[in-house]
Amino acid sequence: MTGSRPYPSDREKWARRLANLSGLAGRARPPVGQTPHDCVFEENKWRLLRYRSAVAPRWRRPVLLVPSLINRHYVMDLLPGKSLAAYLVAEGHDVFVVDWGTPGDEDRFLGFDDVAGRYLDRALRRTARIAGADRAHVLGYCLGGTLAVVHAAVQQGRIASLALLAAPVRFEDDGPLSAWTRSATFRPDAVVRAFGNVPWQLLQGAFHMIRPTLGLSKSVALLDRAWNDEFLDGFLALETWGHDNVSFPGACFEKYIVELYKRDALVKGELRLLGRPARLSAITCPVYVVTFAHDGIVPHESARVLLDHVTSLDKHHLHLAGGHVGAVVSRAASKGLWPALATFFRDRDR
Amino acid sequence: MTPWDLWKKSFDVWEDATARYVEKWTKSPVVLGPTGLALDVAMRAKSAWDDALAGLWGGLGLPTKRDQERTLFLIQRLESRLLDLEERLEDTLDDARDPSPHRPRD
Repeated sequence: MTGSRPYPSDREKWARRLANLSGLAGRARPPVGQTPHDCVFEENKWRLLRYRSAVAPRWRRPVLLVPSLINRHYVMDLLPGKSLAAYLVAEGHDVFVVDWGTPGDEDRFLGFDDVAGRYLDRALRRTARIAGADRAHVLGYCLGGTLAVVHAAVQQGRIASLALLAAPVRFEDDGPLSAWTRSATFRPDAVVRAFGNVPWQLLQGAFHMIRPTLGLSKSVALLDRAWNDEFLDGFLALETWGHDNVSFPGACFEKYIVELYKRDALVKGELRLLGRPARLSAITCPVYVVTFAHDGIVPHESARVLLDHVTSLDKHHLHLAGGHVGAVVSRAASKGLWPALATFFRDRDR
Repeated sequence: MTPWDLWKKSFDVWEDATARYVEKWTKSPVVLGPTGLALDVAMRAKSAWDDALAGLWGGLGLPTKRDQERTLFLIQRLESRLLDLEERLEDTLDDARDPSPHRPRD
């Protein structure tokens, strides 16, 4: 807290900065993912969670949050006041989220079709049924958004609308991930054969290599703003989330890299899911694509391009400042992104 | 502007320039080719070692790690199919209750 004055003097800042940094190791980690919820369904390692609401939902159709497969779902429910899920609940939405869980060694055989086809179908079906609705709105984030797009391209019967946060659709771009995975000498099958599930340490190492100076940059940011307790809690919560990663189920990783990255099959209309063609032109539901200007993981054009391919007439693009994660959990998000998403779902619920 | 602010600004400029420079190299085929090859060789060596151990273990008539993984996965798949059947049953009951063509179906 900053006391009675909204902004402390430089001297006060240094005093607080030093006090906070010296006590950083012993500082209690902020509790993440605290919005009350119930597990309403589970299969294999994944669970469907429903956020509790003190009052009955105001809108007819529920919202299903689909996070990335390799990050924990609670990035969308990071801290009180920094929770997209809690915001949507407060806006009267009935909110569900897929918690993909932690794959076991046997999940090396779990395929992309199992996840994007069967599991997502089950999550949508259960969400709609539990909420007593015919369809659900879907909010996909990062790889979760890509999974939702692929699913919608094959079976969109239960999807009322599709909102996508930094969800790559075209994988041939000028980003580092595209260059690395499309390199002729990179063989995902060899990695999967050696490890089974692709270890999160390997994935995290690759993500660090996207911007190797990021660790140093974060340390300087921490030093700069350590006087601010709110910043410090947010920083520690994000670090907790950032180091709580999940290994990628082997077979799923192999198809994801070969079909989506190396062949760019989704945007070319050549991808198949559960034996059926996944054509973006088959998507007719309302679509809302959100991209971030400083996203080093998903270049904004590789996500925006979806709008050029869907048949939907009700399609919109929101381009915001910020990075891949910060733009979703920041204070600015609570004033820009979150209200925009809540309004999108509300207006498509009539 | 305080000395700290000034230093921070310089740091940000340096960090951005360095990150761009490093990215240019990490995306270069000169780096990517040999790195991919080295990873591939390391992965193949690990697989060969694991296969040799599994061969020894299997030779004793014991189930290997891969055998156990496959069995566990098949059990999960069986559970998944049972859930599919439950859902079909639910759909059939729903159809009987509400035969409207507008009800979402797979």
